[in-house]
Amino acid sequence: MADSNSTPFYHPEDKVPLPPKNAEVLTTCCDYCSIACGLKVYRWPVNSPDGGPKKSQNALNRNYPLRPGQGGWVGPNQYTQATHKGRLHNIAIVADHKSRVVNVGGGHSIRGGCIAQKVYNPQKPTQDRLQHPMIRINDILMPVTWDFALDIAAEVSKHVIKKHGESAWALKYYSYQFFENTYALTKLALKSINTPAVSQHDHPAMVNSVPGWVDIGYDIFSASHEDFSLADCLVISGTDPFETKTTLWNHWILKGIHGNNTKVIMINPRRTAGVAYAAKHGGLHLDVNPGSDTVVHMALQRIIMENGWEDKEFIKKWVANGWETDSGFGQGTRNTPWQWRTTWGKFQVKGYEGSPKHFKEWIYAQEESKPEVAAKIAGIDVKKLYQAAEMMAKPKANGERVKTSICIEKGNYWSNNYLNTASIGTLGAILGCGGRPGQVITRLGGHQRGGMSGGKYPGWKSPYKVPGRRRHRLDLDRWLESGHVRFAYVVGTTWIQAMAGSSALQDTFKRLVKLNPNQVRSFDKQTIIDTLKKRVDSGGTVVVNQEIYLRDPIGNQYADIVLPAATWGEEDFARANSERRVRLYSKFYDAPGEALPDWKIAAMFAKKMGFHGYDWKDSNEVFEETCRFSRGSRKDFNAIRVMARRKGMKAHDYLRSFGTTGLQAPLLIFGDKLIETKRLHDYNRKDIPDTGPQGVTITNKRLLAFKTQTGKLNLVKSPWKLWSDFYDFMQPKDDELWISNGRINEIWESGFDDYERRPYTQQRWPMNFIELHPDDAKKRGIESGDLVAIESKRVPVQTDFNLGVKGGDMWFSGLMKKGHIKLATGSLSAVAIVTPAVKKGVAFAECLHTSQPVNNIAPRVPDPITQNYRFKIATGTVRKIGESHFKHTFAQMTFKRRDIV
Amino acid sequence: MPSKQDKTPSKSGCMSRRAFLFRSSAVVGGTVVLTHIPGMEGEALAAEIARYPRMLIGKLSQLKVDKPVAFNYPDKGANSQSLLVKLSAEAGGGISPKHNVVAFNSLCTHMGGLMGATYKPADQVLGPCPLHQSTFDLTRHGMVVSGHATESLPQVLLELDGDKIYAVGMLGLIYGRHDNLKS
Ligand code: SF4
Ligand code: FES
Repeated sequence: MADSNSTPFYHPEDKVPLPPKNAEVLTTCCDYCSIACGLKVYRWPVNSPDGGPKKSQNALNRNYPLRPGQGGWVGPNQYTQATHKGRLHNIAIVADHKSRVVNVGGGHSIRGGCIAQKVYNPQKPTQDRLQHPMIRINDILMPVTWDFALDIAAEVSKHVIKKHGESAWALKYYSYQFFENTYALTKLALKSINTPAVSQHDHPAMVNSVPGWVDIGYDIFSASHEDFSLADCLVISGTDPFETKTTLWNHWILKGIHGNNTKVIMINPRRTAGVAYAAKHGGLHLDVNPGSDTVVHMALQRIIMENGWEDKEFIKKWVANGWETDSGFGQGTRNTPWQWRTTWGKFQVKGYEGSPKHFKEWIYAQEESKPEVAAKIAGIDVKKLYQAAEMMAKPKANGERVKTSICIEKGNYWSNNYLNTASIGTLGAILGCGGRPGQVITRLGGHQRGGMSGGKYPGWKSPYKVPGRRRHRLDLDRWLESGHVRFAYVVGTTWIQAMAGSSALQDTFKRLVKLNPNQVRSFDKQTIIDTLKKRVDSGGTVVVNQEIYLRDPIGNQYADIVLPAATWGEEDFARANSERRVRLYSKFYDAPGEALPDWKIAAMFAKKMGFHGYDWKDSNEVFEETCRFSRGSRKDFNAIRVMARRKGMKAHDYLRSFGTTGLQAPLLIFGDKLIETKRLHDYNRKDIPDTGPQGVTITNKRLLAFKTQTGKLNLVKSPWKLWSDFYDFMQPKDDELWISNGRINEIWESGFDDYERRPYTQQRWPMNFIELHPDDAKKRGIESGDLVAIESKRVPVQTDFNLGVKGGDMWFSGLMKKGHIKLATGSLSAVAIVTPAVKKGVAFAECLHTSQPVNNIAPRVPDPITQNYRFKIATGTVRKIGESHFKHTFAQMTFKRRDIV
Repeated sequence: MPSKQDKTPSKSGCMSRRAFLFRSSAVVGGTVVLTHIPGMEGEALAAEIARYPRMLIGKLSQLKVDKPVAFNYPDKGANSQSLLVKLSAEAGGGISPKHNVVAFNSLCTHMGGLMGATYKPADQVLGPCPLHQSTFDLTRHGMVVSGHATESLPQVLLELDGDKIYAVGMLGLIYGRHDNLKS
């Protein structure tokens, strides 16, 4: 009966089978956020007895009913069915309640808690998984065989490379979906083909998200989760981990707040549950305007330095002086990002203090670092700046230093990328962050860390030349728009809505693919190949989309060939999380239809193109090949292969034996001892013999020092004027609002699992939404539940591959002056949620809704210093269209405030 | 406005006999005897309810707005703690002429945090859960407002017989149980 009373489409179950004592148990981790909670998969055949409520009767080893707070509950969303070796099985996927790391005691979020519903089950909404390769013939995607599809893809690819050059062959792919896959895909694109036209799911080019820290010398994932429970003061910028890194909040940060009296400072325009909770427990909310963070950081630095609260001892020991800075910046040959950014004096300082060319004096000389000026730009009460500075740095009554940690995410680095990351990095440096328990500086992470490169990026082939002797990596979106991409291999990402200015990008795909007269109208293989060759020779593009679902529009509307991929749970894979913990993600059921893992498809494709080195028999062989390329990196896991060999095991199996605990990289071997790494930059660490590197083990500098030539941190400047021309342009004009965007707790960014195929989540979030401050809503006659249109007629889109010659050519104002910025339109609808939790003048929508994409209005002008998009600072108008279905019904969506603590 | 289906009278003799007076969840403002349920006929519904005990849990005349009353359902066993609340607003599945009386199990469906004392009258929300701050909307079938729970709060189905309020069934699984009826 339950169904009608809940929603018309969702029937909550009131009983669930328990795994019997003899159920098979496999370990894996959650597929979603960077925390990667450990999970156990219980598998037992359908039509065999279920388990009972007594400990002795079930594989969970638990007496039911469970007590409050006890992990290991099998709820309705933790249960499904799937075939394993052709036989139907019951599957329960439960956060590992025996876990002592990451999700200690079996914690999980709403996302990972429902991950069983990701599993392919023909009776559930996952039934539309892609099952067969398809080719678009007469504009209909028709099933074909693997050979048929890949022969065509390979022939067209060879033609494109031969006739139009390797730069005309592009790979757009995910950076995260397991080492084996990212390695195989990049081996094909970067090593075998050697094209510069490669970019990942979240960037227009192959660039670092936190370039400021690269220059300063901070690794971006240096911390361990434990550090979050050890800090006295935790500064969180551009995210709320309650919403986005749930177990980090639920376990580690709450442990700090309650067990260690940690004060949490949140820098974010919205008051979400974590922000409100932090503020209630002695923390502080800096409700800054989008894009204003840099001045806030600079003002904090000024207050801290004026009071003499900086960590002098640390600075003396670990901050580079003038001479060291010069050598410290010499991080590579001429054409490296470090060089372009840090030469020409724009950012470099001579060291901490002593002259106008030093950091402290430079900060003091900046108008924007004056607290009153900064507070005005950021739209916050100036008192909060003084309060925050005290919390971060004022010595305790007993004279001890406050242990402060800093962590950031996309609200910080996808608005004013370089300056925000540089200035919060230098704030960290003067506070002594890095390398000590509870005194760290790190990214919190988005996706997990599953990237391995199978080749070196050919930077010298990028035609993107900026003034001086500098060259940027290739901006693939602009490269496509300029007509240079003739073959696009798109793997596991919604290229279009995932990028900025996505309406304009969609127009480009339409022009290059759909409107090209050369469309396939025959089943004859050679005719298809000839047609597609004609397409590329006439300036058009052929698109191959490799995915688990048919995604709109990249697959559904534009792909000529669609290839079905197998994913999480359907193959053995390995990956690291945000504290560099590497685990084995077990295969536990059969992939649907003919779907194959991405590494395998890439290998078949590569072989058909005539490349060698793709004869892997299984994912373990790919993994073993990747191991040695991880040496010296943040997630150096080569030791897994070495130890496995010594034990006569496969590397995957050796890793599997560590279950959900895995191994925390970088991994070192001394003698027969395997040593893990809790945090990077750990200069007090004692477990590395000072005899230096041994055999296969590399003791990279970042283990015991910072990531620069000298091992010391380079302070850098953050001149506001490098951002202010663009920022002025983006400021809301007339009746516009800031339209920021981000993730919310209930939805992981792969919307294909959550709001597209999970009735429980669809019930909560049936459409994209926009949070509006009551004053902004009232002015526009909008109430919660109204359907609104969000539009911009001035979405700036950078065009052309012009050469920068003079100094200012490639800054926003220079590009504007020379006609390289076009103003596009973008619009989306959303359901209004009126709430004081969002700042006045700022609206907020979910970032990756594919059918109501907010990136339609996101500016497509990458940071000229770093080629990162500035997704978070769109502007637009908001106007009521009418009432949504949900305004007066009770079944879906809720408009209650989300900051009740 | 009530939708067409909400107005469809019940054909089930069993239903009318038990005189269900909870409103269909689908639409605000529809006060109706339990009626057509997409994909489920009256008898099937009756059978589902028949799984649960019918238990007297209070009197409408004695309920005060925003003063939750604790009770246990469907038994007195572990995790049966529930709340009967007269809200200041209409609610999906609410009984009484104002459709504002609802009942829910009060264990958080994330990891079982006890939320019996956390009702927030201004927002008709249960929570935040003392363990990890999840909140639940009591006007919308216990849907999670913000947080980590992997299902809505189990809603106790109510029946009004004169002034007497009976608990007659439950939507969703109680935290920590594998079957609502096994404690
Ligand atoms: S917190 Fe992250 S890793 Fe853990 S269950 Fe949730 S989404 Fe998965
Ligand atoms: S138990 Fe309630 S939020 Fe975790």
